[in-house]
Amino acid sequence: MSPIDLSSKTLSSIQQLLRSGQLTFVQIVRHYLNRIQATRHLNAYIEIFEEEALEKARQLDQKIQQSPESLGHLFGAVISIKDVLCYKDHKVSGAAKILEGFTSLYSATAVERLVNEDAIIIGRVNCDQFGMGSSNENSIYGPVKNAADETCVSGGSSGGSAVAVQTGTCLASLGTDTGGSVRQPAAYCGVVGLKPTYGRISRHGLLAYASSFDQIGILAKQVEDAAMILEVMAGPDDFDSSASQQLFKRTTAPHSNYKIAALRPAIEHHSLDTEIKENTFNKIKDLENQGHSVEWIDFDLLEYLVPAYYILTAAEASSNLARYDGIHYGYRSPNATNLEETYMLSRSEGFSAEVKKRILMGTFVLSSGYYDACYGKAQKIRRLVQDAIFKIFKKYDFIILPTTPETAPKIGKGIKDPMKMYLADIFTVFASLAGVPAISVPLGVHSNGLPYGIQVISQSFEENKLLDFCDYMYRGL
Amino acid sequence: MSKYETVIGLEVHIQLNTNSKVFCGDSAAFGSEPNEHISAISLGHPGTLPRLNEGVLEKAIRLGLALNCEISNNSFFDRKNYFYADLPKGYQITQDENPICQGGFLEITVQDQTRKIRIHHIHIEEDAGKSIHDLDPRFSCIDLNRAGVPLLEVVTEPDLRSPEEAAIFFSELRKLAKWLDISDGNMEEGSMRCDCNLSLRPMGSSEYGTRTEVKNVNSIRFAKKALEYEQERQTKVLNKGEKVIQQTRTFDPESGKTYPLREKEEAHDYRYFPEPDLPVVNIVEEDIIRIQNSMPEMPAERKSDFIQKYQLSEYEAALLTEEKMPGDYFLFLIENNSNYKLISNLLINKILPEAKELRKSLFDFPIEKENIHAFIELISSNKVSASIAYQRVWPELLKHPNTSPEEMASKLNVLQNSDTDFLESAINNVLEKFPDKVTAYQKGKKGLIGFFMGEVMKATRGKADPKLSNQMLRKKLES
Repeated sequence: MSPIDLSSKTLSSIQQLLRSGQLTFVQIVRHYLNRIQATRHLNAYIEIFEEEALEKARQLDQKIQQSPESLGHLFGAVISIKDVLCYKDHKVSGAAKILEGFTSLYSATAVERLVNEDAIIIGRVNCDQFGMGSSNENSIYGPVKNAADETCVSGGSSGGSAVAVQTGTCLASLGTDTGGSVRQPAAYCGVVGLKPTYGRISRHGLLAYASSFDQIGILAKQVEDAAMILEVMAGPDDFDSSASQQLFKRTTAPHSNYKIAALRPAIEHHSLDTEIKENTFNKIKDLENQGHSVEWIDFDLLEYLVPAYYILTAAEASSNLARYDGIHYGYRSPNATNLEETYMLSRSEGFSAEVKKRILMGTFVLSSGYYDACYGKAQKIRRLVQDAIFKIFKKYDFIILPTTPETAPKIGKGIKDPMKMYLADIFTVFASLAGVPAISVPLGVHSNGLPYGIQVISQSFEENKLLDFCDYMYRGL
Repeated sequence: MSKYETVIGLEVHIQLNTNSKVFCGDSAAFGSEPNEHISAISLGHPGTLPRLNEGVLEKAIRLGLALNCEISNNSFFDRKNYFYADLPKGYQITQDENPICQGGFLEITVQDQTRKIRIHHIHIEEDAGKSIHDLDPRFSCIDLNRAGVPLLEVVTEPDLRSPEEAAIFFSELRKLAKWLDISDGNMEEGSMRCDCNLSLRPMGSSEYGTRTEVKNVNSIRFAKKALEYEQERQTKVLNKGEKVIQQTRTFDPESGKTYPLREKEEAHDYRYFPEPDLPVVNIVEEDIIRIQNSMPEMPAERKSDFIQKYQLSEYEAALLTEEKMPGDYFLFLIENNSNYKLISNLLINKILPEAKELRKSLFDFPIEKENIHAFIELISSNKVSASIAYQRVWPELLKHPNTSPEEMASKLNVLQNSDTDFLESAINNVLEKFPDKVTAYQKGKKGLIGFFMGEVMKATRGKADPKLSNQMLRKKLES
């Protein structure tokens, strides 16, 4: 069997190859399994569902032969899932000791919809614990290495997803994005990372970090593939009342005179790497030359974004993570001798330092006496940011800005300077606070050899327009 | 007379009688084997989310409307954070900042006086599971069937002035909850529980004293006892010149005393914040109107209706409106039959106690409406005297509910065939109907004979022979 190259193939072209018999699904799955083995040292995968993936591929190969008309929309798609998404009868741990040995009783709605459309789930990928982190170093399974430079981080929290796509071990990966956890690792690893509108995809079966921010996102090589996968996952869900009632049907209507807002305080931000800045400028010029109107806009709330984001997400996390108490499931400290100790020791031993820090911070900002000054204030800032962003979208189709201030840092660096790591989220939390959709697409490769991205944000539920624009911009690169 | 005024406020938890839990589809039934109604959502498994049961919302609004509350059109849920073994999520979903029903009042009658007790608010929340500590020598057991069962919490203003008033309020609220079909009101199964707040202040003072809260009292009688105990305890403390300590206390039914649980300084900080997993509850005017229109007639209205429209006595009307079902059944029986008095008599004296003894719902009473009407007809047409009908025909009918009353009366040979029998039965019925007049006649008010004659004529629709009737009446009255 000759080696196959799927690295630049879209899902539709893979589906054609399958339908025409030039490839079998088993061959495809084997190919990905080989890629996983070849890149194991990067630590992207926590668990590989080898046997069941092959078995499903065999069944689908039969279906291609016998009843091709009954094939689901995602046949041919091999997808990995972040370790915060439930998949029935499979383990899920949030990369945390506290969920040691835990098997999910049910599938996340998003995962179930993929499987129902004949996608194959090939494995569970590494991430920052409960999605908390920007480097994927906060995992009980150890850091994920960036394939572009193995001494550098993958980004986070969906670092395993980004590297899994970067190294061609799957067509796409499901990540989750609370403050940039899909877009930032996508930028660091040179892949596409889409965070849809808040509520676009049901959160049922997503281990909650910060409920009013969390959103499942897609990491892929191609914008088009992300769109197809989104189409399947999106839509109302009886198990999540914050999920939107709207369906998502991909329709394309690209045009050549979009109104674009370039976010000046971001693109001119003091923390932004000069090469990234220059290339972002160039990209903006290109867009102008192509006939789009670009205007530079200000945004005076920028410095408030990160503090507001961390207060609100920590507050929600402190409550969301209370269920991991050592009583009902998962890890229970063997050193505990009574109820109080069961809570204290199981949680002290079961959560990482970063998670504990956020639980403490969240508990603090919700405490009586501090609530108004911290949580209440942050809520107000969030409202102001939302209002400001909606105002921008009255005038413009998109906001563009870099995805990250820098390229992926060295492994171990962020842990030494956590404030810097938090502040690096400045460009991504912007869309998260407002709940609007945002995407990171690769913009270029730095002289240090690492990729970086450009971020496009649109009004809520305008993913079609956003995807049209990115497809056009990405393919134009 | 005490020199202190008692100030009481109640927080009454009402377990709703919905089929499923408040935030998931698990059954909310009581009495199953432990941990039978526990999906991943009840278990608080990772990734699960709440979804509001619309039925709960509707029931909350029903109670709110019955208590004259303002229904909030943008109420939302909050999380109350605390760790407990029977609270799987580590927080309880409740309403803190903007509850569904706000303001309102309930009127109660205390010693013939109407008292208006203001309601502060009503909110929706989920119940916790149950920890069972005495089942296993080494372990505490947890039953999560109750986790997520819907509760309404009715919080009063501190308007109650005695343990007796508090008990009347609690009992009226229970009656209302059953009346509105929002709760079974079953105290033994914990369907209603109450936190009792009590403080004392010098008579005439307008400031409140320091209060204590007796938690989780599960019967009206215990609530009254707990409050009486607290009233006495606080009086003693104040009389000694000491200060009441703000405390949460618990009531022990065996000793009838309350004991401290924790003091104010030890109070939890529940870190309430808006529940991000549930949207704001939008209630539009049409919803409220629809629910308003589906509300049953309230007990007080029904009672006055029964007195005015159907000429029932105060006593009868009160009895038939104590709960909803007897009144409903009464209305069912008087469809196409205007013998209101006879029907209410039969219902109160026979059907109600018998249905209770048979453990049957009134609407499943063995003798069907048709035969009940026929039985009433036997009496009203004087074919059988009322006392014979009650004493002889009815018990046999109950044994053979498919036999027609007329046939039964004939079998028992109690049908009045001759003119004399017919008259006798009519006269007996009249005399049974007016026992006080009979007494008056016998005490010498002989002029009443005219009244009795009139009644006999009425009862026989003028068919009675006046001379014979007069004779028979006198004989009966003077025997």
